[in-house]
Amino acid sequence: MLRPFALHRPATVAEASEILAQEGRDAALYAGGTELLVILKEGLLRVKSLVDVKRLPGLADIRADDGHLLIGATATHRTVEHAPEVHARCPLIARVARHVANVRVRSVGTVGGNLAFADPHSDLATVFLLFDAKVRLSARAGERELALGDFVVGPYETSRRDEEILTSVRLLPWPAGTAGAYVKYGLHERPTLGVAVALTVAGGAVRGARIAVGCVGPRPQRLAGAEGRLGGWSLADVERRAEEVGAEAAAAVDAVDDLHGSAEYKRDMTRVFVRRALLVAAGRAAGRESHERHPHTVVV
Amino acid sequence: MRVERDLDVTASPERLWAVLWDVPRMVACLPGCTEAREVEPQKHYEAHMSQRVGPISLSVPMQVTIVDVEPPGSLALEAKGRDGSLGASVAMSVRLVVAPRGGGSRLRVEAEGKILGKLGALGHGVIQRRAEELIDEFGVRLKRVVEG
Amino acid sequence: MSVIPIRSSSSVRCTVNGRPVALEVRPEALLLDVLRDRLELKGARRSCDMQVCGACTVLVDGAPVSACTYLAVEVDGREVTTVEGLADGDRLHPLQEAFIDHGAVQCGFCTAGMLLTAKALLAEDPSPTSERVAEYLRGSLCRCTGYRKILDAILACATPKVAAG
Repeated sequence: MLRPFALHRPATVAEASEILAQEGRDAALYAGGTELLVILKEGLLRVKSLVDVKRLPGLADIRADDGHLLIGATATHRTVEHAPEVHARCPLIARVARHVANVRVRSVGTVGGNLAFADPHSDLATVFLLFDAKVRLSARAGERELALGDFVVGPYETSRRDEEILTSVRLLPWPAGTAGAYVKYGLHERPTLGVAVALTVAGGAVRGARIAVGCVGPRPQRLAGAEGRLGGWSLADVERRAEEVGAEAAAAVDAVDDLHGSAEYKRDMTRVFVRRALLVAAGRAAGRESHERHPHTVVV
Repeated sequence: MRVERDLDVTASPERLWAVLWDVPRMVACLPGCTEAREVEPQKHYEAHMSQRVGPISLSVPMQVTIVDVEPPGSLALEAKGRDGSLGASVAMSVRLVVAPRGGGSRLRVEAEGKILGKLGALGHGVIQRRAEELIDEFGVRLKRVVEG
Repeated sequence: MSVIPIRSSSSVRCTVNGRPVALEVRPEALLLDVLRDRLELKGARRSCDMQVCGACTVLVDGAPVSACTYLAVEVDGREVTTVEGLADGDRLHPLQEAFIDHGAVQCGFCTAGMLLTAKALLAEDPSPTSERVAEYLRGSLCRCTGYRKILDAILACATPKVAAG
């Protein structure tokens, strides 16, 4: 049972922003409600109003935008999973969306809601880091764009101002010759660890590497030191030495103790899964698909 | 959750000890802690603790009790309270040890705490890290008070 | 711009298992409570109450949702399917027959959610692999059967893939 609230259904971003400005913390933005309704039910949050953003025009759009892929904030994970534009430009994202939470959450939960709630255990927030993601925040006063890493600042903490609405996220597709993978591991409803990697290969050597690790700490992170190691490596080098990169990632990652495991455990799993993800990506760069299976692991 | 920190200040151990014993002032160095007041000198105090994690706000009236004193160096206190609307109980034990160090002094903070209730379970991963950040900031503010 | 003020009701017009339904609901009313308490459809169950277990699954416009974490106002203008809508009078749905034939029901608590999720899967992918069934049903929990017979029952309802050539 939920405590009573009013339900606003603004027709424009300006109206929505106005309501938020007036009601402050007594109002909560509402799209799919997959996180919001749970914390309301738990009594962890009390609000007087919900501001439904699903009727705001254009927010569910998924389209190309000046070489980028634009995903509207109210696009559901399910929509992203099936969208031809996502498959064409950022296919890894479509595949990751297919594995978010469970099918019921994917039917209803939105990309914008996922990013704005900033749950540390977010698959999308992790993989989006590999695509130079930028979120658009809109309010009565105007709009601004923030890099995802500047938007998600801590666990459940974003730099969204009270009267702002996250309206879209923009992603930069990878250059040709890039192969990627997302590997997630966990026994619980939310993953214990999510590793996203991408290798850009040209002339037989790695020209660019991207590694992001999520779920183990306050927010997902790119690991620049580990990425740098791979520069100039051949694919054979990657397969032989992925362990070293895993070890460097484990040393660099910011991990916290929680009910998923100790920080030490998570660092160790980071070492293991960065290596595994790199092997999958390297295999794909060579035109091979990995069929390795590991317990409680999803290879995307 | 458990946090241990060492804080070095340029002031003398006596000065540091005196500031610690101004319990309302000392407690007010903890971010989110307000309305700190004395109820029974050197024994009971009250304060209000507010913390926010994302959309969730914790607001706890705290009862602080000095449970052990070994002058000139060591002070232990317990703080307890409950946020009725979240159904969350907070219980902390803090030991503060003052020792001379170089020309100044070192404060050792050992804090152990629990948050019980839904927030404790759901917030588990956040609480340890937040406690560390709070104690670090406590150290920065206390240092300013002691040295200023 | 519209608002449903606090403690006011709004009209929801939808179909439930093919039949038109009109209700006045408050903004905070959860679909599960409306189905169970006002429409007397008890097949969907409140179990974890945080959308991780699947016992409350219903279909809204064919898509599985957790009724425990879904506002009733959202079904306005839509089609809701509950487990009670699977059988056609006395004739059980092929999935229901398969569950019985394969022994995929023990206590029955998860069954409604399993059936509806399976129905949604087969509508989207009539010939899923065993792996795809397991993947799609991730998040529908069963404490009794160990899942094997549930998977077998669903696969038994899949359209066989015709081998090429």
